[in-house]
Amino acid sequence: MRLLFLQKEELEPFVSRLIAWQEVVGPKAKKNRFVFDKLESPAELRLDYDTTILPPKKYFFQPQQDLIRFSPEGFTGCIEPKPRIIFGVHPYDIKAISMLDYLFSDGKKDWNYLANRQAATIVGINVHQVFKTAFFESMGASIVTKGYDLFLTDIGEEGFVVEVATDKGEALLAYGHFTQVTPDQAQKRRKILYGQSDRCSQKLFNLPEEVSEKVALSFYHPIWEEMASRCFSCGACNLVCPTCYCFDVQDMWNLDQESGIRFRTWDGCLTEDFAKVTVQGGTENFRQDRSSRYRHRIMRKAVYLNSKLGGPACVGCGRCASACPADLANPVPVLNKIMEG
Amino acid sequence: MKIPKVAFFDFTSCEGCQVEIANFDQDLLKLLQVVEVVEFREIMKETCSEPLDIAFIEGSFSREKDRERLQKIRQRANLVVAYGSCAATGGINALKNHKPDYKYKVEVYGADATMPHLETQKALPISAAIPVDLAIPGCPVNRQEFVRLVSDLLHGKAPTIPNYPVCMECKKKENICRYELQDTCLGVVARAGCGALCPSNGIPCEACRGFVDNPNLDSLVELLIKTGMQPAYAMAKARMFTANLVEE
Amino acid sequence: MNHPYSYADDREEKLITTEGAEREEENIFLPKPARVLQAQPMGRTEKYFRLAFSDGSSMGHQPGQIVEASLFGYGEIPLGIASSPTREGYFDLLIRKAGRVSTALWNLEIGDTMYIRGPLGKGFPVDEFKGHDVLIVAGGIGLCPTRSMIEYIEDRREEFGHFTLFFGARTPKDQLFPNDLARWREEIDWIEYHETVDQGSPEWKGNVGVITTLFAKTSISKGCRVIICGPPIMYKFVIKELKKLGIPDAHIYVDLERRMKCGVGKCGHCQINGLYVCTDGPVFNYARIKNLEEAF
Ligand code: SF4
Ligand code: SF4
Ligand code: SF4
Ligand code: SF4
Ligand code: SF4
Ligand code: FES
Repeated sequence: MRLLFLQKEELEPFVSRLIAWQEVVGPKAKKNRFVFDKLESPAELRLDYDTTILPPKKYFFQPQQDLIRFSPEGFTGCIEPKPRIIFGVHPYDIKAISMLDYLFSDGKKDWNYLANRQAATIVGINVHQVFKTAFFESMGASIVTKGYDLFLTDIGEEGFVVEVATDKGEALLAYGHFTQVTPDQAQKRRKILYGQSDRCSQKLFNLPEEVSEKVALSFYHPIWEEMASRCFSCGACNLVCPTCYCFDVQDMWNLDQESGIRFRTWDGCLTEDFAKVTVQGGTENFRQDRSSRYRHRIMRKAVYLNSKLGGPACVGCGRCASACPADLANPVPVLNKIMEG
Repeated sequence: MKIPKVAFFDFTSCEGCQVEIANFDQDLLKLLQVVEVVEFREIMKETCSEPLDIAFIEGSFSREKDRERLQKIRQRANLVVAYGSCAATGGINALKNHKPDYKYKVEVYGADATMPHLETQKALPISAAIPVDLAIPGCPVNRQEFVRLVSDLLHGKAPTIPNYPVCMECKKKENICRYELQDTCLGVVARAGCGALCPSNGIPCEACRGFVDNPNLDSLVELLIKTGMQPAYAMAKARMFTANLVEE
Repeated sequence: MNHPYSYADDREEKLITTEGAEREEENIFLPKPARVLQAQPMGRTEKYFRLAFSDGSSMGHQPGQIVEASLFGYGEIPLGIASSPTREGYFDLLIRKAGRVSTALWNLEIGDTMYIRGPLGKGFPVDEFKGHDVLIVAGGIGLCPTRSMIEYIEDRREEFGHFTLFFGARTPKDQLFPNDLARWREEIDWIEYHETVDQGSPEWKGNVGVITTLFAKTSISKGCRVIICGPPIMYKFVIKELKKLGIPDAHIYVDLERRMKCGVGKCGHCQINGLYVCTDGPVFNYARIKNLEEAF
């Protein structure tokens, strides 16, 4: 592992030079929350953020993404990646990005996502403040060993121990003043990354593997009905999730009424019409009840995708819990209750 | 595609939707290259009686004697589009449906309350008087959505209006939820399509576009009460733009 | 407590480095234009299309596979391919006028262009059928995807045992592919054809009743391989009959319909629990999905 050191006061010049070179996005404050956004100056960067409203997936799989442009002359694809540095990504989000990387390249490759992903350089950062509803420790997502190009560990007043993981990460080094890391600094890094546990106030009482086994057998558990009676089917829990990647595809004409676009836009399995289809002349909604949709999401996080991903499709970021207006999207109490019963 | 003839008409409304459309600027000019507007009070004078491809109607049906005028429009037009919440659902006008008419007229119009043009019945959607091919909600209508739906109509494609709540669009814009700011918001039950205009501008959604097909109103009232609202006020709020949808 | 279980460790090679041109080539959303060779209304709301890819390429599908068919500006819909890969130079589709996209596609005429992505998904595993008797139970528009298999059996007759086809429609007017039906009624050497309608008409001389009544008309061997495709409600009843005959679950294949958007296992719309109808199906072995909630 290649480790270097960046002094605290060297961070701003480093980020400044990166901004002058490429688009750099990072966590910025938005009232009492944070969002990933384009950095105009290094002062905007808030590496002490807890979590962002939307995960960084929005840069690879945009809320609305053109797929095809058409006109009377013909049609073309819209794979147009733009180089970008995503600065200050937390481990759980890095893990979620790795999952999406896998899902979008499994079977047929989705270059509309993958090209954006390839064009991005990811600079990770350890979590300073734990978000109020996060439970990434329970999901094995407090530590990542890959999925980033550089990883910064803030060891306090001195500065950051920087892990250089890839050639893309290597390429950033020219823009900053890095020094050799001392054994003491490397030791501090290890303590911060591996020595801390119990920082999340929310916890699963069981291992994800155990949870997945039991939840798979709980299709008819009363909890789905109980929770979903207050659900608005608003899909907020889907859209803020770093591992949700469902989408709808639509066509639209431009004002000239001749040319237009086919685009995809985020969809959520909690919304009423998600699984509704016209079959054999009638309409059939395969998940008609709120509870079946509510269950589908939890199942999809805890069970359905495990065989593809080798583990649950939830990283414990806690975004869904905070985004739900009815305060019922948090998987932790649901999963713990199923495990108890 | 032959250039379709379209006309705009208004009934009981604030004309805000017409203004919204007249303010299209560049977009309106481009759209005018593909449609011919033969009647539009907000931007032109002449009126005519020739057949129309699309009649756009603004405002609610709130006077029995408007029925005849509406029927005439229906006869002339191949497609009738009720645009704006007044026309689509009765909109804000329908608020009065729950109160005795008289008291309101006096409050608002004072001594003029007995003038004949104020003789109104319940405020109803245009569809209560004539068959409507498409109802576009919004108070006022959203320009982008209006253009898109009209564009679908011009191509003979049945237009779709989302059946998911405003929250979907709100989250795509990465807004902080009003509830996280100790405010209220009807976005959880309101039909999307406006791009979450209000929460994106720092104010709660009032569901001016009406509700999704199956709004969870019980849960909404519970949520509003939890934010500290009086139960009766919470109910009233849930009804503001949707009086004709939520029966007492 | 940390549980650093290893996520997808051995799978990372999947994130690859392909460059521009190949990416365009592999763009899963780009359709290929296909020209309408024949177009003929059929049934009440259906229209039959024969098409060929404009670049001369062949579909190269398995019977039972699907395509996404589209018109720009209107959108895309999934359709079962209605012709056998053994018939080269064209492919058949049947479009039922139901929504925005299907209505626009329905309106196409000879010489027009339709945009096609496919073949997609998994069709009938023909090798599993070879050397065995075959029964196809098709209800309504379910005749359309199974027709790809029917034609396949006709063209490779010697590879299969006795072949029986049950077809049920709502009324005689709803019957599809009238030319095929007329032929199947006559040609008894390669196909044993039975049909029924839910409601008859004065001119109708054939059977009236639900599709399961056809089981009384013939005998089905225990070793028979079965394909079922029809409205959701039909599956349960047909499977019940097959159970009575002692046909094992693993010999039954069902062809399912779901909402589909991407057709390539990404968008999530077609998911039944952990399975994707667009990539794992639309043809499923019944033994594999019978215990899956939300499947039927
Ligand atoms: S399910 Fe919730 S906690 Fe888990 S990854 Fe998604 S948003 Fe985060
Ligand atoms: S199925 Fe539901 S939980 Fe899954 S990715 Fe789609 S929206 Fe998210
Ligand atoms: S955010 Fe909450 S209310 Fe909205 S769909 Fe999800 S669980 Fe239901
Ligand atoms: S602010 Fe309103 S519309 Fe936006 S997420 Fe919250 S409840 Fe939904
Ligand atoms: S956010 Fe709500 S009130 Fe505002 S325009 Fe949209 S539907 Fe109307
Ligand atoms: S249709 Fe998109 S996943 Fe199957």
